[in-house]
Amino acid sequence: MFLDKIAKKLLKAGLFDIEVGFENGSVVLRGELDSWEDIVNAGRLAVDTKNSRGVINDIKLKGFEEPPMKMPLLNDDKYEGKKVDVLVIGGGIVGCSILRELSKWNLTSLLVDKEYDVAVNQSSRNDGEIHPGIDLSPDCIKVKYNCRGNRMYPKLSEELGFTLKRTGQYVLYTKPIGSLVWPIIKARAKKNEIAIENVSQKELKKRQPNVSDEIHGATYYPNVYVVSPYEVTIAFAENAVTNGAEIALSTAVIGMEHKDGKIYSVKTNRGTIYPEVVVNAAGVYSDRIAEMAGDRFFTIHPRKGEEMILDKKASALMDTVMGRFDISSSASHTKGGGILITADNNLLLGPNAVETPLREDLSTTPEGIDMVIKKQQTLMPRISKGSIITYFAGVRASTYEEQFVIERSKKVDNFVQAAGIQSPGITAAPAIAEDITKYCIEAIGKNISKNEKFNPIRKPIPKVRELSTEERDKLIKENPDYGVIICRCEEISKGEIIDALNSPLKVPTIDGIKRRVRAGMGRCQGGFCSPQIVKIIADHEGISIDQVAKKQQGSEILVAKNKGE
Amino acid sequence: MYDVVVIGGGPSGLAAAVEAKKEGASVLIIEREAMLGGILKQCIHDGFGLIRFGKKLSGPEYAELYIKEVKDLEIETRLQTFVTSIKKSQEGFEIIVTSSKGMSTIVAKTIILSTGCRERTARQVFIHGTRPVGVYTAGTAQNFVNHMGYLPVKKCVILGSGDIGLIMARRLTLEGAKVLGVYEIKCTPSGLTRNIHQCLKDFDIPLYLSYTVTRVFGEPRLTGIEVAEVDQFMRVKPGTEKYIECDGLILSVGLIPENELAETIGVKIDPKTKGPEVNEKMMTSVEGVFSCGNALHVHDLVDYVSEGSATAGKNAAKYVGTKENEANVSSEGMLSLVPQRITEGEHEIIFYFRTLCDRKKATLTITVNGNEENKIVKKYTNLLPPEMERVKLKLNVKGGDKVHFKLEGE
Repeated sequence: MFLDKIAKKLLKAGLFDIEVGFENGSVVLRGELDSWEDIVNAGRLAVDTKNSRGVINDIKLKGFEEPPMKMPLLNDDKYEGKKVDVLVIGGGIVGCSILRELSKWNLTSLLVDKEYDVAVNQSSRNDGEIHPGIDLSPDCIKVKYNCRGNRMYPKLSEELGFTLKRTGQYVLYTKPIGSLVWPIIKARAKKNEIAIENVSQKELKKRQPNVSDEIHGATYYPNVYVVSPYEVTIAFAENAVTNGAEIALSTAVIGMEHKDGKIYSVKTNRGTIYPEVVVNAAGVYSDRIAEMAGDRFFTIHPRKGEEMILDKKASALMDTVMGRFDISSSASHTKGGGILITADNNLLLGPNAVETPLREDLSTTPEGIDMVIKKQQTLMPRISKGSIITYFAGVRASTYEEQFVIERSKKVDNFVQAAGIQSPGITAAPAIAEDITKYCIEAIGKNISKNEKFNPIRKPIPKVRELSTEERDKLIKENPDYGVIICRCEEISKGEIIDALNSPLKVPTIDGIKRRVRAGMGRCQGGFCSPQIVKIIADHEGISIDQVAKKQQGSEILVAKNKGE
Repeated sequence: MYDVVVIGGGPSGLAAAVEAKKEGASVLIIEREAMLGGILKQCIHDGFGLIRFGKKLSGPEYAELYIKEVKDLEIETRLQTFVTSIKKSQEGFEIIVTSSKGMSTIVAKTIILSTGCRERTARQVFIHGTRPVGVYTAGTAQNFVNHMGYLPVKKCVILGSGDIGLIMARRLTLEGAKVLGVYEIKCTPSGLTRNIHQCLKDFDIPLYLSYTVTRVFGEPRLTGIEVAEVDQFMRVKPGTEKYIECDGLILSVGLIPENELAETIGVKIDPKTKGPEVNEKMMTSVEGVFSCGNALHVHDLVDYVSEGSATAGKNAAKYVGTKENEANVSSEGMLSLVPQRITEGEHEIIFYFRTLCDRKKATLTITVNGNEENKIVKKYTNLLPPEMERVKLKLNVKGGDKVHFKLEGE
């Protein structure tokens, strides 16, 4: 019955020759269409959360062959035959926070990720806002994890030593609708205990003088924080490793073997692993992993977002998070971007939202950047394109239901999913990790005791630029390398770089260092410091300078000796 | 406490320190790198010093002449020392520095900011596409080749015809890389004419004017770029896009004076030069703070860096703290003009300017308060924006006077 309704909806939308079926409790769409937009639209129209678990959208795009997953160059047998209690697939913030949560228990756990570092994709390509949870439907699963996660962050920041800035957030009214929407917001906020404040135009101008005169006021959410999402992910990963968990980078899952309705083994480019339980935290590839595991009931339709970073000088304009109130861009998709002061004190603009069939397309476009800047200029006219120092793109792992998939598989006994995680994934991750860990322990099916030796504290790498003169002097007296500045724009010392090379999850590449200590993230974008960092890495690792890479294997900086050498 | 603290030990800081010391001041040079000489250390090509010393020197040789003088004059230096902040104090300024020895405070009566410049990056010229390894600014590539002895690219395209880009086109070719061409968005080259000849023509490297790079491809290594023709407004002409296979993109798309430190103490910046506004003594809008070299305005020849910086050094040493009345200098038809202010009295002043556009024949007219009768007129031929002009003038001005430079001609 409901399938007929979906079929009718598709026809009404002009989407012909689509076969509507029902498999594994989900709506299945098959056929071929000319445009990606139509395919995404079909997927959306097929959503019926009452009658199905999800949408499997297998409609093909005419003339398009999805490129194969980008694989690491590495091939060895380091993990051949390895037995673990829990195998986590995916080293984003979700996977890494799960790994840390698992390390609180007496079990063996291994996280695999195909990239050269953790937090390479979605988890480093977002604004790092710890959301209040207001712009979501008040009963959905996303809001539950959002509100729980938000409350966990202050303690996590203390334990793991990452920067957490309580910036608050202003949702700005571009039309005089403040008095109209206030009662609705108030009711929503009450339901999930979200602190709010109604801010008049006059008061807003007083607090944030650079906001456009066209703005009619705002709702203010005091419990909004900003973090560096990759700093947090690395912190989770390092603390997990310190507590006995293992991380295998450049390790891609390429297949699974089943026995007795369970996953028996997981094949990677570095050998076959034999886990008791498998966790799917694979981001944009999470539906593929679900398929391998034998319980696919949702589809990831990748949604790209472009963001840009402004020179620190522009941070004089504001010190908070701002977005526009927009009924049309309803919560389920994206807020459409805003302006945010990052944990490292740069202004960040964006992101936009573009549906794409390419899961790993991290390219930026002039149109995207121009669109974002124009949009944000309507909130803050003094923002200028000239102060952009860099920009980047990320791909969100959105499902057609626009909801998180967090469950122990009803079909495959030893499979647990944390899939389809997009915004507010950073906020939600620690809460998701608690539940996933519970499911893992249930799935193992025997008594697992608490890890009494678990140490929640991670000692971060000092940020010399943020210390007082006295503290900084003391630190340099203990280790003179903290006084040698290598990255002049961000004021990063040699000591910090060496600390990163000695950290529990070291990634001895230019970008590995950059993501840990910020060397090369300033206005010169590594022009002055990258040659020096190449030398520091080579010296510390005992390799020659032409073996030092920017990112993964195959991205070595220096390609040949000079002819004259 | 020092009379003069020079921040930056490149060619500009060295010349300023030497001159200040000769005037009898106590001088300290603070340098963030382990050696004096600044960017000249990696400029191993010749052509430096033709004007100042009448001979062709390499960058390190040119720097060495000044470093020797610094040593002979026993000027104090603090190497691998980084200024974290500057505060105004009763005596003048407190400079907080960090080094492997710890944090310390240096007290200075006057400061000379000779902090140089940085290169405009790929993102600042809005290059889009993937984010591969193989995209470098010319100066960074020069560091890899000349300091480390390795090539960062084997087959590359150079975007921008600034001097470092041209020098690197030759250098990379000599060291065994293939340079497929230099692409310049403007309809005229950005570098010195002599470099177009010596670095491109002599090596058969093509120069494409009115072209830009629109996109890069490849992950994790650059595999190719897309270039396209641009119209007179530097907008891409649709349909002219062309793919070029290469593993490197070297950028020489402009230099930006580094004045982040200057701005923290309230130094006023000239939007044209992106450096501080100074008077003929090279003193900025903040009393006791001087600026010179590429931090003041981007030079084409180091010889002029040394000349202007010596002026800064001399005047910092002589600085007594009496506030002087000043005349304002304005310009038209110019990309930039330094100095922007003149103190009251009669002086002989060296002005440095760049023409706004190519001019075969040009007339420079200088008037004070619009007074046409006493105007000074200078004639020029073949003015090009990449080439900085130097003109020495005798002027007598009073505080509040308006001095106007007008450059015209086709």
